[in-house]
Amino acid sequence: METGIRVLLLTAVLMTLPGCASVRNWFHHRSEVRQAKADAKEEAAQQDALAAQQDADATPPRVIDPEVERRKIKVPKIKSSNIEIGIQDGFISIEDFGTQNAYGLTAAYHVTEDFFFQGEYGRAYAGRTSFETLGGNIQLLTSAERRFTYYDIALGYNLLPGEAFIGPGRAMTSSFYFLGGIGGTKFAGDNRFTVDFGGGYRVLPSDWIAIHIQVQDRVFRTDLLGVSKLTNNVEATLGATVFF
Amino acid sequence: MRRLPFFGLLLSLVMLAAPVVSLAREHLQVYVTAPYLELRSGPGRGYPVFHVAERNESVQVLFRRTDWFKVRTERGVEGWAAQRDMLRTVLADGTPFKFDLGDRTGFTSHNFEMGIFAGDYGGSTIVSTYASYSFNSQLALELSVGQFFGKFSNGVTGDLGLTHVLVPEWRFSPFLMLGTGLVHVTPKATLVVPSDRTDQTAYVGGGVRYYLTRRFFVRAEYKSHVVFTKRNANEEVDEWKLGFAFFF
Repeated sequence: METGIRVLLLTAVLMTLPGCASVRNWFHHRSEVRQAKADAKEEAAQQDALAAQQDADATPPRVIDPEVERRKIKVPKIKSSNIEIGIQDGFISIEDFGTQNAYGLTAAYHVTEDFFFQGEYGRAYAGRTSFETLGGNIQLLTSAERRFTYYDIALGYNLLPGEAFIGPGRAMTSSFYFLGGIGGTKFAGDNRFTVDFGGGYRVLPSDWIAIHIQVQDRVFRTDLLGVSKLTNNVEATLGATVFF
Repeated sequence: MRRLPFFGLLLSLVMLAAPVVSLAREHLQVYVTAPYLELRSGPGRGYPVFHVAERNESVQVLFRRTDWFKVRTERGVEGWAAQRDMLRTVLADGTPFKFDLGDRTGFTSHNFEMGIFAGDYGGSTIVSTYASYSFNSQLALELSVGQFFGKFSNGVTGDLGLTHVLVPEWRFSPFLMLGTGLVHVTPKATLVVPSDRTDQTAYVGGGVRYYLTRRFFVRAEYKSHVVFTKRNANEEVDEWKLGFAFFF
């Protein structure tokens, strides 16, 4: 069955890929060629007639030969500044493993004034569960397994754009935004599909720098403690980004 | 102490941005042909208009963010002008100021495209992202990377191939794909732990894209992969994905 679909798709691709742009006009091509030939014939006839007429009343030579060169204007390119890159630092509450410091990189592309795409990569180091603390010398995870790394790609929506005022003469553009995305989390020797959602507040002290306060919940399913369950890992960060 | 390199990174980022801010570059000068050009205090429709540039006055275009232009008037007032208002300005030689608008025309023909997907990769959940460069309105070179999370194994994939959009003018337009890639599989620990493996793949596929609004479109696709394993038989993997993408 699968092979059947593949053969069908391959045949379709083979038929369309080569030539690509050129094959589009196949059906109109013949009529176009015919038209072009007819046009060329007509034009030749016209030119012959014109030449005959010009010979009859030859124009006098020009007195002034204008040698004005057209000035070329170089148009400076307009810089686009839609990309935002930065770092963030804060806390993440890893379910069952306590609240820990989390830090990471963030990058965003602003598509419209309302929507943007944002990617994040972060790290944290999980602490001890209550069971481990109470049980004395029990270790559920090795040191390497406690490393908690996550990434996500999210779509953001600027819900409440506005301005923040500091003092009498200073206004900074700002925005409350929603985030929703998907990604992965590597923890306890396993990679897990993760859904993340949350929101944040962005304020721009200048056109090039932004400060973020962001809260997100990273939800993934794990069977680390014997039973499969959904875990909520709430993260709060403070970030600084630069627009490019 | 651990975070010290982190702040170092921040510092270097700021230093990287510094020349962008301070560089005295030559800006494009355009002339207002409409009765006036409204300047807002921020790049958004809700920000208040605090200044106007009159007809025939010139403004310098400093930079662009999404659909807004930051401009400076002859008197040195800086503000944000909307894209639709900037369409009614001209260059010094009288020709209209033209720029890429990000509308249906852009959907038909553009240079770059990026997007994110969620879907199914041979029974596992996949998260993937792609970027493409278009040679013309129909043919594009596409790079996609993904990570899949399965019951018995996890892994990452990377594909490079060509995409052929059949009729780019259509709002709902189908496309075909052909390419090659790599897949790295990490089996989950069981009693017998198999080692990680990386195999080459080839794929053929198809899909549809549907223009939503502005620079956004929805994209759904199917890829049929053949994984060239080191064993006797090759593997076949079906990949179904749905996602958002934008062009620029």
